[in-house]
Amino acid sequence: MLIRLEMELEDVPGQLVKALEPISRYGGNIQSIMHQRERKTPLGRLPVMLIFEIGERARLNRILAALRAMGVQITRIGEREGAVRTTVLLIGHIIHTDIRDTIDRLNALKGVMVSDLSLAMGAIGQESAARMTIVADDEKHKNLAISKMRSIADRKELLMITSLEAE
Amino acid sequence: MRIMLVGFGNLGRGLSRALVQKASFLRRSHGLIIRVVAVVDEFGAVEDEKGLNLNELLKVAEKKGTVAAYKGGKRGKLALKVIDDVEADVVYDLTPTNIKTGEPGLTHIKSAMLAGKHVITANKGPLVVAFRELDSLAKRCGVEFRYSASVGGAVPVVGLAKKLLAGNEIHEIRGVLNGTTNYILTRMSKESVPFEIVLREAKELGIAEKDPTLDIEGIDTACKITILANSLLDMNASLKEVKIAGITRVRPEAIQLAREAGYTIKLIGIAKRGLLEVGPKLVPLGHPLAVDGTLNAVTFKLDLAREISITGFGAGPKETSSSLLGDLIDIHRTLGS
Repeated sequence: MLIRLEMELEDVPGQLVKALEPISRYGGNIQSIMHQRERKTPLGRLPVMLIFEIGERARLNRILAALRAMGVQITRIGEREGAVRTTVLLIGHIIHTDIRDTIDRLNALKGVMVSDLSLAMGAIGQESAARMTIVADDEKHKNLAISKMRSIADRKELLMITSLEAE
Repeated sequence: MRIMLVGFGNLGRGLSRALVQKASFLRRSHGLIIRVVAVVDEFGAVEDEKGLNLNELLKVAEKKGTVAAYKGGKRGKLALKVIDDVEADVVYDLTPTNIKTGEPGLTHIKSAMLAGKHVITANKGPLVVAFRELDSLAKRCGVEFRYSASVGGAVPVVGLAKKLLAGNEIHEIRGVLNGTTNYILTRMSKESVPFEIVLREAKELGIAEKDPTLDIEGIDTACKITILANSLLDMNASLKEVKIAGITRVRPEAIQLAREAGYTIKLIGIAKRGLLEVGPKLVPLGHPLAVDGTLNAVTFKLDLAREISITGFGAGPKETSSSLLGDLIDIHRTLGS
């Protein structure tokens, strides 16, 4: 199952690494970390959003217990059983056509989230490439995300390369 | 069996060499004695009802540039005239592909069928332009029609589906069906060399044609998808229904990004009812379609067998003669002669 965990950390060096340790110790596979320094809480703590995959509920409980024992505040936990991931490659003028807007549009879909992005910039005037991992609640939402991405790609004249399993 | 070759380029010569080389094998294993009674190329023709000496013919054609230079050959004699005049059981159409008109192959094939001759072709043009018409004309004329070499070169895509998988309903066919683009993508992937440089080298090596547009724009693959949709999925599809994207925008950096996530990029043709598509796709490393170099690969999705994949050489005169000869033996068996 895929777990989405939101927590708050003390703004002291080394806290994030410490918080990730129990996840890997109990066999969690971290897929995405969003560390939002600019959105400090009124108490000066840093919100962090994590997505990770874990095999069994018992292991998840151990992770949560370990985090709480460390003084990490867990503010939200969401389970995305049956969540599906798909990888999409984009080629074109990705930056000029506003990659942020592309991601925002996908994230605006309910049950869909862009969890990872890697960019390979082209030389000046040349096209760039980006790899995107999209996490969706289920197959239906994944297909929705892909057709949304396809219409964005068409409009922005990006070549969209989906994976064989995505079709 | 008396056969006639229309077209004596790479494929015609490759088939002739295989016929010479395998004459005793064919007699021994298949009870098949083949006489080539006529060969036509763009400059003329040569006929001999007792059977031409293929070794000699290959030498003459190589040296003089036409089969008409062979003794008794006639310069300027047209294929249609030969098809009508000469008594033969099977006509091979091995003329160059024209995907817009299907000619000259289309007329050759129709004339041969109307003259009661069985037809084997490697030519995509007539199949893309007029598959249904040719298929029903063959039935009406009571002749056999085979086209294994038009898709997959040596890879028995059509034969496997039509014969050995005949008990299955085919849900979908996917494949790497163009060796040139697969070679380019493989080199970009392994050596991070830019597209333009790999393409230039591929031309120098004779892997890509001087004008590689049909390959790199995905049109050649789309032709093959059209043929497979019509012949194996019982569709009535035309080339313009295929959604096509080529590989010209794929760069080594993109393939590298794909690799980091466990994929490679291949130009994949997909045929299923409701979707005919050609384009670059992310293929998981280790997947049956993740084949390298000039290889072709096809995966069938089936109701009973679930998935069957085959791989092999998609081009080359010797490799393709495997399919051309296979079709002839198949006709021989079908007729029980």
